[in-house]
Amino acid sequence: MAQPTMNRIDARAKVTGAAKYASDHNLPGMAYGHMVTSTIGNGQIVSMDLGAARAAGGVIDIYTHDNQPSFPGALPGLAGIFAETRHPLADREIHYYGQLVALVVADTIEQARDAAALIKVTYAARPPKSSFEDAKRSPADPPSLPGLPLGQPIKKPQDVDIEAALAASQVRVEQTYDVPPRHHSMMEPHAAVAAWQSGKLTIYSGTQGPAAHAMELAAVLGVELSDVHVVSPYVGGAFGGKAFTWAPALLAAAAARALGRPVKVVTSREQLFTVTGHRAASSQTLALGAYRDGRVTAIKHHTTCQSIVEDPGYRTTPKYYAAPNVDIKLMVTPDMNLPTATIMRAPGDEAGSFALESAMDELAVRLGMDPIELRMKNYLESTLIEGTPYSSKHLDECYRAGAARFGWSRRSAQPGAVTDGDWLVGLGMSTAILDSGRAPTTVRVTFRPNGTATVACATSDAGTGMWTIMAMTGARALEVSADRIKPALGDSWLPVVGNGNPDVYGAVGSAATSTVTPAILVAAKEAIGKLVEHATTAEGSPLLGARDVRYEGGSLIGAGKAVAFGELLTLTRSGEVGAQGTSAALDEGYAYASYAAHFCEVRVNRWTGEPRLSRFTTVVDAGAILNAQTARNQITGGVLFGLAAAMFEEGKVEGATGRISNANLADYLLPINADTTEIDVHFLDYPDTRLSPTGARGIGELGTVGAAAAFANAIYNATGKRIRTLPITLDKLLA
Amino acid sequence: MRPYTFAAARSVSEALEQARDGSAYLAGGTTLVDLMKLEVISPAHVVDITAVPLRGIRADAVGLSIGAMECMADVAGHDLVAGPYPMLAEALRQSASPQIRNMATIGGNLLQRTRCGYFRDPHTTCNKRSPGSGCSAIDGHNRSHAILGTSDACVATHPSDLAVALTALDARLSLRGAGGERSLRLADFYRLPAGTPHLENELRPGELITGVTVPALPWARRSTYVKVRDRQSYEFALASVAVAVNVRGGVIGEARVAAGGVGTKPWRLPAVEQALKGRPMQAATFEAAAAHATDGARPLSRNAFKPALLRRTIVRALVHLAG
Repeated sequence: MAQPTMNRIDARAKVTGAAKYASDHNLPGMAYGHMVTSTIGNGQIVSMDLGAARAAGGVIDIYTHDNQPSFPGALPGLAGIFAETRHPLADREIHYYGQLVALVVADTIEQARDAAALIKVTYAARPPKSSFEDAKRSPADPPSLPGLPLGQPIKKPQDVDIEAALAASQVRVEQTYDVPPRHHSMMEPHAAVAAWQSGKLTIYSGTQGPAAHAMELAAVLGVELSDVHVVSPYVGGAFGGKAFTWAPALLAAAAARALGRPVKVVTSREQLFTVTGHRAASSQTLALGAYRDGRVTAIKHHTTCQSIVEDPGYRTTPKYYAAPNVDIKLMVTPDMNLPTATIMRAPGDEAGSFALESAMDELAVRLGMDPIELRMKNYLESTLIEGTPYSSKHLDECYRAGAARFGWSRRSAQPGAVTDGDWLVGLGMSTAILDSGRAPTTVRVTFRPNGTATVACATSDAGTGMWTIMAMTGARALEVSADRIKPALGDSWLPVVGNGNPDVYGAVGSAATSTVTPAILVAAKEAIGKLVEHATTAEGSPLLGARDVRYEGGSLIGAGKAVAFGELLTLTRSGEVGAQGTSAALDEGYAYASYAAHFCEVRVNRWTGEPRLSRFTTVVDAGAILNAQTARNQITGGVLFGLAAAMFEEGKVEGATGRISNANLADYLLPINADTTEIDVHFLDYPDTRLSPTGARGIGELGTVGAAAAFANAIYNATGKRIRTLPITLDKLLA
Repeated sequence: MRPYTFAAARSVSEALEQARDGSAYLAGGTTLVDLMKLEVISPAHVVDITAVPLRGIRADAVGLSIGAMECMADVAGHDLVAGPYPMLAEALRQSASPQIRNMATIGGNLLQRTRCGYFRDPHTTCNKRSPGSGCSAIDGHNRSHAILGTSDACVATHPSDLAVALTALDARLSLRGAGGERSLRLADFYRLPAGTPHLENELRPGELITGVTVPALPWARRSTYVKVRDRQSYEFALASVAVAVNVRGGVIGEARVAAGGVGTKPWRLPAVEQALKGRPMQAATFEAAAAHATDGARPLSRNAFKPALLRRTIVRALVHLAG
């Protein structure tokens, strides 16, 4: 079946510059805030010389810990766990290098930046605890988070002696896999333009969840939720970094309130590395025990991480392979002098899949077994711990179809056997599994006299294609062409289920499409009911008093007449007619996940060791594909995101200072076009009707999961070298 | 960025008249503006020389001459460069990005400052930026730093690819200053850091590079520039080599070898050249010669891989020329 496909409806606005991102907003009387950050990693501010800065032209005010703008409340909900809970400029304590110490507000951005450079801070420095390499040697138990499973040990059976089970295995592998800190590095930095009027805040701020952002701002600023309006129709990349509220938005809002004029705060590229969140480093010890025939008997997955946010064991191991003995544990390194860790694209899953899928490759080598055959020997039909059946799983077909597309049968199991000139060629594969789900959410569908209909939800489009999916799903539900559907999103005043429910977090967990599209169907049905009622009861309707009126293809049909809804609403002079609808709760009887099989070809220079990506195929089972173009775009971007971790990305923290030595885009390497290749993406397209009527599961992060392992496994196949510490750089491959 | 005064010159003499203590010439601006924004350098006076007509790419029996204000992209694509001197064109094409190559000039390329992250961050100590303050790189993140020509005061690499190829080709610089014109071998132009890493070259105050000349070397047609880096484009070298060989009857008559990404200045390797001379153009020769490349190399805490990488880069370049 051909998958539906449609160009992005927001593409023209983005290409022409008509799309306004947060920092594109300029309001009358607006002032500019520039942040100043600490240059020590641990200690105290002794004094701040603001004299020259205050005397500099255009400076309106300078906020420091001595005159912190008012933040009466605390970050609520998940932000209280996954974002920075210490308020900006709270006190004179410095907890990490690059921490906010001042906000300079001036008439122009140049004046603010210039004055900021004149501030002299005197510190009393203490040796920072910034080295994860040191800290991971003495980890601690993680905190217990009410209502969250992160950090909870998992054992199967409850009294498992995993070391004994491993010792009793016929074959075992045990290795440690290290992943460095990683930064979101989205194209659009965190930025906010805040304006108050009569005690009510309007804030233009890029966010994944407008409703959550409003809830968090209201709580910290000590105002009613109804007094905060978040506007965020376009977001230039987020990756979890814009799921919660960070200092730039808080400072813009608080300074604007204090000064009584709009304030814009834009984070610099360097500041993004420290004043907003990142993915914490982790070190995973993974042991697999197996029979000689490949059946896995025991899995030990022990992780040490800076933060509880990344729990690779919990996230990964229970959903990949069958095993009678399982032991999963997380330890943390608390109180480090490092910036705040938060969620980042496939949190836990990216690191966990690197470890588990590398270890499976190592086990396949040890067993002399094909890596796909080993995976099929341990195929899960229901979840490993609870035994909950999967709703719809075609991972086996992903393996088969991917192997055929990629030419897996041509792979030599012998490392280094294939060369092309001066390049060693290697093939590797991995599995990607991403939990899928949806939260009940509310959508409003409204018919308008001009023949268009709006489909509105307080979700977000951070480049994912949500604008387009909403138009396509609205078109399908209302039986009209998609150009007659006007989506509305990225606004906290649009519908959500309600304060505190999971759907306030908007576009997170690759669940926006699976969450919003079923609610569109429900809301459309409600709205059609209202429209039919309107047609038969409204003064001026050609169908007034008619019976058995029905809606079909954008028209109301009855009494031998057909009236288009735009014409109807024009004749009845009643403006808009619509309704809200809320999607049903999820059937808890199943486990839901998306799957992919990744296949990667690399080349390694025989002289100088540069690893280069040359081919990548992925076959994806993510339920119904609602827009083939944006789905492909999401998987391609997700795969490259994962390969970037394999090849380049590493926040390099100086243990002695806590300074990130590569906190800029020249030194923090991201892949450029020359590093990539066309990613061959194939969708199986089995609608998951147990998940929702639209049958769509999560996509974006799925590409990221497992990509680094496919690359590392290909590197092994090319060179015989097993690299267990990311990124895989040429110095690690020089013999 | 700190306040500065600005003047635009239309000729070399106007530029020289404008030069003064604490002034800087602005050509493509791809280094100067960057460093001014970072407040690594804060010139009191900026002299815009973009209209100064130091242009032209010419060749005669003596060699090739390139005006200092030619941009990298134009030089890389010029027939008088790409055919006779492949290593020059390849070095330029593997530098920076297309946008930067369209802006950056040849003179400015040779004067670009190191990419050492500590030099570029005024909140750290750096003897090159702030003489006597100390070197953060020696015990810091020094994976990309130099192993040749280093001192206890500085381990920063020279970043230019072009300068490596020009050093292999024995290029000369034409300079003009208040005292008139002079010419210097590029190899003699750059200084080693020793105790004064802030003094990077022999340029006198106010002096301007007006052009580069490359002595004719017909066998440089068989030359290449191999640049090894983590990313495939838009990144500085971990190691690079410019190699030319004059092979007759399967035997190397003469060779030119220079390295980048490993030295505190573009690093000519005469011992490698000598070891190639008179030997057969084959792998055993290359490996034996490359072994001389790292005589006296001093690896740092995080770049112990560089000596081996440099030797292998030389072998790779020679294998490429043999193929």
